[in-house]
Formats: sequence, structure tokens, C-alpha cells
Amino acid sequence: MTLPILSLTILTLLVGTVATFLAGSRARWVALATSAVFLGEIALIFLGFSGWPGYNGALVPGFSESESYVWIHLSWMRINYTVGVDGISLVLILLTGILQVATVIYSWGESKRPAAYFGLLLLTCLGSFGVFVALDILLFFLFWEAVLVPMFFLIGFWGGPQRRYAALKFFIYTHVASIVMLVGLLALVFYSGSSSFDFSSVYAGARSLSAVPQTFLFLALFFGFGVKFPMVPFHTWLPDAHVEAPTGGSVLLAGLLLKLGGYGLIRWAVEVLPSGLHTAQPILFFVAFLSIVWGSVLSLSQRDLKRLVAYSSINHMGIVLLAIALDSSLGLIAAVLLMFAHGIVSGLLFMSSGSVHHTFGSRDIASIGGITPTTPALSTLIMTGSLASLGLPALISFPAEFTALLATWNGLSYWVFLPLAILVVTAAFYLWMMQRLLFGTPRGIPAGAHDIPWYEGAGMGILVAFTVLFGILPGLLVNVIVSSPIHGWPGP
Amino acid sequence: MVSLADLFGYAFLVPLLMVLSFVIVGLAGTRLKRFEWGGWLAVGFAGAALVVGVLIAAAELMDPSRYTNVQFTWFHLPAAPGVFPNGFSLVAGTLVDPISALMLLVVTVVGFLVMLYSIGYMHHDHGLPRYYAELSLFLAAMSGLVIANNLFEFFLFWELVGVCSYFLIGFYYEKPSASSAAKEAFLVTRVGDVMFLLGIFIYFYYYATTGPSGGWAANGFVFVRGTTPFLAGAMGGQSTVLTVAGIMILGGAAGKSAQFPLHVWLPDAMEGPTTVSALIHAATMVAAGVYLLAVTSLFIGFTSTDQLAIVAVGGFTTFFAATMAVVHPDIKRVIAYSTISQLGYMVLAVGAGFAMVGLFHLFTHAFFKALLFLAAGSVIHAVGTQDLFKMGGLRKSMRVTAAAFAIGGLALAGIPPFAGFWSKDDVLSAVYSQLPSHPAYWPFFVLAVAAVFLTAYYIFRAWFLAFSGDKPRDPTLPHAHEGPWVMQVPLVVLSAFAVGAGLFIFWPNFQGLLLHGAGAAGIPPVYGPADLALSATSVFLGVAGIGLAWALWGHGKVFVLADSSPVQPLRRLLLNRYYFKVGFDWIGAKGVYTVARAADFVDRFVIDGTVHGFERMFAELSDRLRRIQTGVVSDYAAYVVAGLIAVFVLLLFVAPYLVAKFGGG
Repeated sequence: MTLPILSLTILTLLVGTVATFLAGSRARWVALATSAVFLGEIALIFLGFSGWPGYNGALVPGFSESESYVWIHLSWMRINYTVGVDGISLVLILLTGILQVATVIYSWGESKRPAAYFGLLLLTCLGSFGVFVALDILLFFLFWEAVLVPMFFLIGFWGGPQRRYAALKFFIYTHVASIVMLVGLLALVFYSGSSSFDFSSVYAGARSLSAVPQTFLFLALFFGFGVKFPMVPFHTWLPDAHVEAPTGGSVLLAGLLLKLGGYGLIRWAVEVLPSGLHTAQPILFFVAFLSIVWGSVLSLSQRDLKRLVAYSSINHMGIVLLAIALDSSLGLIAAVLLMFAHGIVSGLLFMSSGSVHHTFGSRDIASIGGITPTTPALSTLIMTGSLASLGLPALISFPAEFTALLATWNGLSYWVFLPLAILVVTAAFYLWMMQRLLFGTPRGIPAGAHDIPWYEGAGMGILVAFTVLFGILPGLLVNVIVSSPIHGWPGP
Repeated sequence: MVSLADLFGYAFLVPLLMVLSFVIVGLAGTRLKRFEWGGWLAVGFAGAALVVGVLIAAAELMDPSRYTNVQFTWFHLPAAPGVFPNGFSLVAGTLVDPISALMLLVVTVVGFLVMLYSIGYMHHDHGLPRYYAELSLFLAAMSGLVIANNLFEFFLFWELVGVCSYFLIGFYYEKPSASSAAKEAFLVTRVGDVMFLLGIFIYFYYYATTGPSGGWAANGFVFVRGTTPFLAGAMGGQSTVLTVAGIMILGGAAGKSAQFPLHVWLPDAMEGPTTVSALIHAATMVAAGVYLLAVTSLFIGFTSTDQLAIVAVGGFTTFFAATMAVVHPDIKRVIAYSTISQLGYMVLAVGAGFAMVGLFHLFTHAFFKALLFLAAGSVIHAVGTQDLFKMGGLRKSMRVTAAAFAIGGLALAGIPPFAGFWSKDDVLSAVYSQLPSHPAYWPFFVLAVAAVFLTAYYIFRAWFLAFSGDKPRDPTLPHAHEGPWVMQVPLVVLSAFAVGAGLFIFWPNFQGLLLHGAGAAGIPPVYGPADLALSATSVFLGVAGIGLAWALWGHGKVFVLADSSPVQPLRRLLLNRYYFKVGFDWIGAKGVYTVARAADFVDRFVIDGTVHGFERMFAELSDRLRRIQTGVVSDYAAYVVAGLIAVFVLLLFVAPYLVAKFGGG
């Protein structure tokens, strides 16, 4: 038994969070130190990752660096503390680490109760990390709910004028979804006849279920995870939450919380209930196409920069759902790549919207414009984010979208034309936004507006660096993802 | 002994040098007090790239039979059930062969000259670090595209070329018309790009399922030139899905090369600096579309339906674009329409099955079109207007420019021995040779021949308006004078090419280059005037066009059409570009935006409205439920018992029934 690195990381984040809450005015330094240690530990996890075919000897089949301890032992049921990583979770853990450090640096100037603010940021990341490593249903649910609470407070306390409404809407939507998900997960355990809450035993039991119960279970889980995605028509909490949330909250909301839905769907529904996915496929396709079209078209009509980015998230997560629904290994790889790409790029875009708000006192594209001469650095960052999001090659979204659409062609042939055509609309709303906000004659710029402070630039710079790195070398991520034994993938 | 051919593995140096230029000039340039040095730095990088490009072209000319492929694996996915039985590999690499060497030469020569010219032309502008950085990236992307060794990598650079042109067209971003034109260019080409993507998907899929087993997994879907086009062999050249793929590739090329009906963006792209127009029109952006068609036709192959579609688009565009150039008063836009028209000839040749003939026309066109734009830029630099009707008499004060524009015009009009004659004549005789077996090509051939007359007319109309006569028609124009030497040298060099580039065709090594480019694909290139009668006709039409221009506009005359003239409606139609732009705006801006607003309304009031309706319903409900909170313990006990009974019923009866009914494992 080597270093229990996953538990150590959870412990680090826990200690870091508590210390940040208590650190008062030095909270940002504690948060930064925690992020640095967290990144170091992620590096260790990568180094220790046995990948394919080392998983064979692992404690939990298919997972590396796994740990399992009995937690609650009943005569008929064992609940364990079981954690482990595979390629999919590893990529999302990397995303968590990158977003955490970027957000902490970006928020360096936060002056409204900074200790609580940074503490809640770290708590959100802790919960997300937990969700990505948990291999026991109760543990998973615990972390899942742990994410909800800090985000509620981030929106509700640090948010904009409508924060109470937005925070409650966010909480109710995601909580109702959580309950359906929990019922689905519990039913999964009982129907599969599993004697523990562990992923491996549920996996073994549920896959042999017949198609009908699999379908019902799948639909319950799909609803639970789908609201987090968010899928149309259960999406209206997202724009409201984003518009009201503070920048750091928005970044984690789009970058991590939406990914929890995607990850949950892959881990606890797609992998476990193949026949269920097969039966429910038409529903998933329908919802995915609807989200793709709806998100993109709605973005076109937005005047608030943040709302625009929020609707574009619905579009991108729709492509993720489409890729997952394809039920092919290529689609699954594309989905994970896309989630990573969207996490980084939407983080960049939400940060720049936040900076626009700080600098000009408004995010209304229609009333401010021509900002490039005033804030060249911010303009460049907005441009980079927009171009990345609309799928420019050499930036991270391109290889992900390419793979997703290629998989769509393989699975659905000419249906691929729908998401392809929507790519034009996506390009249109970003270009139009840039034309109005960045170019043209300056208007609506308050006197004394100056370019962004160094920490906002540094936070976004980190995300730009990863956007370019993985845009040029997507193979680094793909090689990690394919080391997961998904869908009969034989491994590299 | 080190031979020139050893350079082939280092073709990546060209894009690499330009990327370095992008980074260094872009980052360091803003720190410089006086930026002149930054501009010269970019020129230096372009010069180094030029040296590499020329050496590679020279080596290829020495031995046209070689081609060199260098690559590394980008990412690799093994074979998996249901997806890609042969595995899936994406590679990145460089391929140096006759075609890419020829294109690399064009890109580096024109790129260097435009960069040099910019030192003089852009002297007074702001934002020069950005200008030179973006220009460098543009050249990097284009040279990368030229030497890309597979369609995926090709597409990657293709998009980068598109985004660079977006930046450069919108260079004067504070002008609303410039940022609008940049957006339009990106969006219209984006329509082509998504079609191109679908084409790639179909080809990938077919290669993966029918390609050589293990080929994909080991090497990726790499261009292999000089052999039979892959799909022609694999599928017998006929299949519906391959026809669709071919049409998609045509769509991509039509977007980039501004072919009908995706031509609308190119005239508006004149909002960028003239140097950028020269680069876009000669060597980079629009050339990429034709190059894509040529590469696809040589490597993958088109079905006969595709070929007819390509011929139709190309042939129609030659004439369609030329008509719009006939009436336009803006010197740059006249040349812009001529580009669309000339690209039509290239597309036409590729469609008829003569990819190398199309590329030969691309080669000569690059020089005389860059020449025309830079000469026009010289005029604009001198008089500060683009309106032909304000100019006049500039011949006297700008002798070099006037001569350069005339040489470019003669080459464009296809007058021997200027470069354009040889290549245009090749295109026409190539298509002519296919007419007996493909009678459906006839109308498009006739349109292309008719366009020769219009071409000669409109370009000399522009020359006479600008240069002939005694003095400018608008007396407020500043006194014109030639630009500095950095602007004159490119004009002279390009003039030499515009005169002589066509004569290359008589050089055996150059012939060998074209031959080996086409390879064993059964696509013989056509050399020289194959059909004398046809050549005579096209020269006659060219001379007649110049004559008409002289008759109407020579000696500073201005030919004014009476308001009551019956052709006035036609003139208005042409000036309004057949109302295409209006239609696109109407569909794109008004139509889609209205839909988006409506969707926004649904989102706010129907979807969220429903949610709020539920919210009110629950509020109401809870208000009523509150009344059962009586505070009487026995009431609560009753509820508890009722609840327990319900749970027991569920557990004991309903659950086992469900399990029995649906199996449960």
C-alpha cells in the first residue's frame, strides 16, 4: 500500500478550507497556498496513475489509486469509504485544480468578507473533487450536496441585486434534481441486489438487469444529472444564477458544477446501465439537440454579456450530452474532452465578463462599446475566450468539438448537420458581441476607466495558457481518457 | 554531400519563422518607442521564410519526382468495436511535393513583397505592432496549410487563415464598417467551413472502413500524391455519400474562395488596408479554397456529379463577378470582383479534372493580382481616395505605378505574352477538351469565354479613369507622387513576374513539376495554346474589351449613361450586387435575430412562466396545508399512522409486484 494520495488530497482541501475561513485578512494567502498544494497533489495523482492495464491489480477494478475502508456496516448492507480515479475523473480533477488556482488569483482583490469568500470557493472545489473520486453512492451524494451549499451562499451573499431570487431558484432546481437522483441511486442499489454501495458491486449487479428496470433507473438518474447540465427546458436557473453570482462563483458554477452533471451521468448511469441508455437514447438525442439549438439561438438575443455566456454554456453542454448519448467510445472521449474544454473556456469568459463589470460598471453590450482602446488587455482576453469558445483550432475547444461531431457522424450520419449548422450561429453571436463591445467608436465608458488589475489578468492568463497548451496537444488529455475501460475500449 | 533536397524535411521552418515573427513583433513591438524596427524585423522574418521557400521550390524543380513527408502522431486511438475498425490516428506533418512547393513559393514571394511594401504604405498608421504580428500569423497559417499533409491539419490552418483575415479586414476596428465587414467575412466563410467539416467526416469514415487495414492506425489519413485518387479506387468513383462529401468540399472552397453564392464577403473585405487585400487576393485566404479543391481532386477524387457542380459554380462565377466589376466606381472593388472572377477560372479547371491547370492559373494570378492591388494601393496612398471618378491624369506624376497597373491589367486581360494569357488559355483549352465527352459543361464554358471580354473592359476602364487625361477630375485631390522605394521595389519585382511567370510553362522542369503534381491520376496537364482558334478568340475578345474601354473612357473621357437610358435598371442591379448583400443581411441579421428574440420571449415567459406558475401553486397549496397543523397531538398521531400504513402497503404489496413484473435481475 502506497501513499493514500486521494484521501490526503481531500484532507488537504478540508484543512485548507477551514484554515481559510479562520484566516481573516490573510485568507487569500491561505487559499493560494492550499491551491498550490492541491496542484502538487494532482501532479502526484497523475504520476501514480497506473492507467491501462495496471487497473487489473487495483483494489477497485478499473480504478487506480483506490482506497476502501468500511464506514457503516449493517447486516444487509455495507457502506464504504471508497475512492479511486480513472482517466475520466483524472481529467476533471485536473480541471478542478486549474480552475481553483485561477479563481483564487483572479479574486485577489475581493474585499467583502474575504475569509468567507475564499473559504466557500475552496469548499466548492473540495466538493467537486470528492464527487470525481467517490466510488460509493453515499459518499458521492455527500460530496454532491456539499457543493450545493457554498454555491448557494456565494450567490446569495456576494451576488447582484436579484441574488435572493437567483440563489433560491438555483437551490430549489438542483435540490429537487438531487432528490430524484438520490432515489434513482438507491433504487439502483436495491434493484441490482448489491450488498454494498460501492461502484464496483453496483456495476456488477446492475449491468445484468433487464432492459425495463434499467430504463426506468436510467431516466430517473438522467433527470437528476440533466438538470445540472442544464438541459432544456430545465435550464432557466442557470442564466439567473450566473447573472447574479459573483465572478468567482460563476467560474466554478460553469466550470465545475455543470461538469458534475456530465460526470455523474457517465459514471453512475451510462456505464452502469447500458441497456437503459440504449432505450432512452432517442430522448437524450432530442434533449441534446434542443439544448444545442436553444442555447445558441438564445445567446444571439442577449444584451448582458454574462447571460450570453451562460446561454452558450447550455449550447456547449448540449453537445456534451449529444456525445454521451451516442453510446460509443469515441463519443465518450469527446464528451470528457468537451467538458474539460468548456470548463477552461467558460471560466475565461466569465472572468472577462466580471472584469467588464468591474471596469465599466455594466455588462450591457448594447450600451457600452468600443472598449479596445481603453482596455487592450481585457479586449484581447475577451477575444481569445470567444474565439476559443466558437471552436478556433489551436485552442482547446476545437479538438473536442471535432471529435464530438466526428462521433456524431459515425453514430447519426446526416443528423450531424444540425449541430454543424448551429456552429455558424455560435460564431455569429460571439462575433456580433465582439463587434459591439470591443470595436467601433467608444461609448458608455465611464471617465477614469483603466485596464484590468494584474491579478485579474494573471487569473485569466493561467486559463489562456491551458487553452493553448491543450489546444495544440490534445493528445495529452486523450491518452489519459482512453486509459479508462469504457465501452469495451481495449486500451492503448 | 548535402543536397538541396535535404531541405524538404525543414519545410516547417516557414510557418515556424512566421510564428516567431508573430510572437516577437507582437510582444516586443509594443515596448518599442519608435516602431520602425519592429516592421523591419517582420520583414526580416518574411525574408528568411522566403529564402527557405525559394530553396525548397528550387530543389523540387531540380527533381520534380520527389516528395517528402515528415510527421508525428497527434493522437492515436486504437481500434474499437463499432468505431473505426482500423483504429483512428490524427497526425501532423509536412508534405513537400510539386504542388506544395509551388504554392509555398507563391506564398513566400508575395508575402515578403507585401510585407516590404507595408513599411512604406502603413507608415502613418497606428497599431503597427498588431498589424505586423497579424500579418505574420496570416503567412504562418497559410504556409502551414500549404504543406499540411492531411485534411485534419489542413482544416486547422484553414480556420487560422480565416481568423487572421478576420483580424486584418477589421484592422481599423474603430470604423464600424470595417468591423462589420470582418464579421461578415468570418460568418460567410464559416458557412463553408461547416460544410468542409462534414466532408472531412465522410472521408474519414470511408477511409477508416474501406482504407488499407492498419494504414490509418499507423500513419493517419495522409495525402499520398502521385497515385490514383484514393476514393476513386476504393469506391469506383461513384456513390451518393461521396457525392455529398464532394459537394461539401466544394461548399468549403466556395466560402473561402468567394465563389457564388458565398461571394458576398470579398468585396466588403476591402475595408482592410490595401496591403491586406493584396495578400488575401493573391496568395493567402482565397487561394486556400482553390488549393483545397485541387488537393481533394488529386488525392481523394470527385464523382462526376461533383465535377459538374464544380464546373457550374466556377464557370458561372467567372461571368457573374465580372459583370459587377463593369460598373463599380471604387478602384479596389473593381479589382476585388476581378479576383472572384479569376478564381472562377481556377475552380472551373479543377472541376473539369485539370487540377494542375487551375494551380498554374493560381500561380500566375497571384503575381499580377498582387501587382494590381499594390499599384492601386500606391494610387490610394498618393491621392487619398478610392473613387475612380475623382482621379485622372495620374500617369504623369506616377509613372512606375501607371506602368505597373498597365502590366497587371494586360496580364489580367490575357494579352500575350503576359502571364495571364498562358494560364487562362490553358484553363479554357482544358475545359474545351472535355466538351465532347461532357456536353453539360457547354454553358459554363461559354460564360467563361464571354467573361474574358468583360475582364479586359473593366480593368482598362479603371486604368483609363485613373491614369489617362490631363489632371484629376476632383481638383481638391492632393498632388500625387510616387511612394518611397520600399513601395516601388515590390511593384517592379511583381511586374517582372506578371510579364514572365507564364513563360515558365515552356521550361521543362516546370512542366515536370505540373506533371508530377498530377501524378499517375490520369490527369494530363495541358500545355500552352492547344487550340489555336480558341486562343485567337480569347485574345480577340481581350483586345476588343480594351478597345471598348479606350473608346468610352480613353483620354480622360467620362462615359455618362443618360438617366432615361433603358440599361439604367441593369446598372442599378449591378451596382447593388444583384441585391445579394441585401438578401443576406435580411436573412442573417433580421430573420435570425427575430427568431432569437422570439425564443428569448418564450424562455422568459413560457418556460420560466410555467415555473413561476408552479411556484404560486405550491404557495397556495402550502397555505392550505398549513391549516392541518392544528397543534392537536392526536391529529398528528393520526397522520403518522396513516403514513406508516401507506409505507407498509408500498413495501409489502406494490414493490414485490413491480419486482415480479419487471424481473429485477
